[in-house]
Amino acid sequence: MTNRIAANWAISTHVQAAAVAIRDRWAGRPEAALVLGTGLHQLTSLVQAEAVIPYADIPHFPRSTAVGHCGRLVCGRYGERSVIVMDGRCHGYEGYSPSELALPVLSMRALGAQRLILSNASGGLNPKFASGDVVVVADHINLLFLKPAQMGLPPSALAWDRPGYTPMYDAILIEQALDIARCENFAAHRGVYVAMTGPNYETRAEYRFLRRIGGDVVGMSTVPEAVAASACGLRTLALSIVTNVARPDCPEVVLAVDVIRAAERAESHVRKIMAAVVSQPWPDGE
Amino acid sequence: MLDLHDKIETSAAMIRAQWPVQPHTGIILGTGLGGLVRQIDVEATFDYDEIPYFPRSTTPTHHGRLVCGHLQGLPVMAMAGRFHRYEGYSLKEITLPVRVMRALGAKLLVVSNACGGMNPYYRSGDIMVIEDHINLMGDNPLIGINDDRLGPRFPDLSEPYEQRMVDRALEVARRENIVAHKGVFVAVPGPNLETRAEYRFLRIIGADVVGMSTVPEVIVAVHCGLRVVGFSVVTDMCLPDALEPANVDKIIAVANEAEPKLCALVLGVLAGEKKNGRRPPAPGPMTKAQ
Repeated sequence: MTNRIAANWAISTHVQAAAVAIRDRWAGRPEAALVLGTGLHQLTSLVQAEAVIPYADIPHFPRSTAVGHCGRLVCGRYGERSVIVMDGRCHGYEGYSPSELALPVLSMRALGAQRLILSNASGGLNPKFASGDVVVVADHINLLFLKPAQMGLPPSALAWDRPGYTPMYDAILIEQALDIARCENFAAHRGVYVAMTGPNYETRAEYRFLRRIGGDVVGMSTVPEAVAASACGLRTLALSIVTNVARPDCPEVVLAVDVIRAAERAESHVRKIMAAVVSQPWPDGE
Repeated sequence: MLDLHDKIETSAAMIRAQWPVQPHTGIILGTGLGGLVRQIDVEATFDYDEIPYFPRSTTPTHHGRLVCGHLQGLPVMAMAGRFHRYEGYSLKEITLPVRVMRALGAKLLVVSNACGGMNPYYRSGDIMVIEDHINLMGDNPLIGINDDRLGPRFPDLSEPYEQRMVDRALEVARRENIVAHKGVFVAVPGPNLETRAEYRFLRIIGADVVGMSTVPEVIVAVHCGLRVVGFSVVTDMCLPDALEPANVDKIIAVANEAEPKLCALVLGVLAGEKKNGRRPPAPGPMTKAQ
């Protein structure tokens, strides 16, 4: 048995163990899974919670150590739908391996989730964006230097139930999200998310580099989850709140507190998109 | 990462026991640039393997000594011999000496390296004052649980190299008639030199020179509150459409030849530090913790 197969086998048993631990505390079958990024903790108030499970109680789950991240699963009803919410996410810069970051997504899929909505706070690279705008992630550039084998995806996950090519971010969900923004009259753009390891914010030279290679926003998360979701056949939508727009030619100091505050201000917009995407009839009839 | 604080304190205590001086400046000398230590009035010297938790340098041209003393009348500690990621060290190991310098009270970090020039206006032997950097090492020394005693979780890097010091270094260069540029350094893990396609890529994304060091030390310096000034010595030109095979002996020869210029710039920058007086520094994260 090669190391890679051994690692894959280990993670699939970890996924099963985590899923079983969650099911022990909550008997529901999630239809959608939500991951709340920086400053979006308040969105848990929308959920009629039936169970709240700290990550520490779930075997093999990473623990959230970042500022503004709680580290618990909120399970319950979101309108008509049954959902599972990751309140607080884990990041590569906290020292977690890609397979640890993939594990919660794979576990929620194992419990039955069909859709995944990821959210994050990001730095704007596109000068047309403004602080507080929502970016609907159309695509990403992975600069996390993850090695595919490290993702440790179980072989079965690679062809779970969607043969053929699955786009990383679901085209229908992207359109739905942009529709809602227009109807609710707030700014949302389609854009490319670049993931960097962090934890330092970027230098001016790095902002210029990332813009030049086609990035619209830059952040330190989302890509590992999206890669895992795509591999296991979850339809994924990723929403990014632009907390500040980088102007490398007249630099400003970036402070974590300002990032969190800006994200909190745009929270209602993300809330509207999440609520609609979860509760509206699903176009694929799932 | 939480044991890092104790490691720093142990290393610092060992150095302090033999050299009870508060350094003003920490200096890291790159490939072929170790000669600056000859200018130091040496008060104490440590082999890296004497200092607890210091990694050992494995590159042939790096000595692996920490030299403490006075330079331009300022107390300094200079690392002759640095550590690189391609030697197999983790970035946390590589950057520990920077944190030790900060723990001993240093306020300024001077970093130097030998690099490949990609900006076609540069010439082999020129010096570039580092204005900014791009981290393409695929790694970061701050990954892991953050110890708030050492610095913030998300350090701002909008001005990692103090602009005032960049201007001062360029002024010294003009005065001393040294060709010096201001530019962007990109760090790659190495150890192979770049392909022509990679040189084009690195040039397109905005870099002027490329090297395999410096960026981890600078990220940690900013994290722990040190001011930074950086010098790159262009030891060979990497022009993808007229690329000559790299010759390590030649690279080291160019570095040795350029070394007096680097010394002059470092001395000039430190002279400016002394002239500006010892204004009390802003309390850094380490001092707060003590």
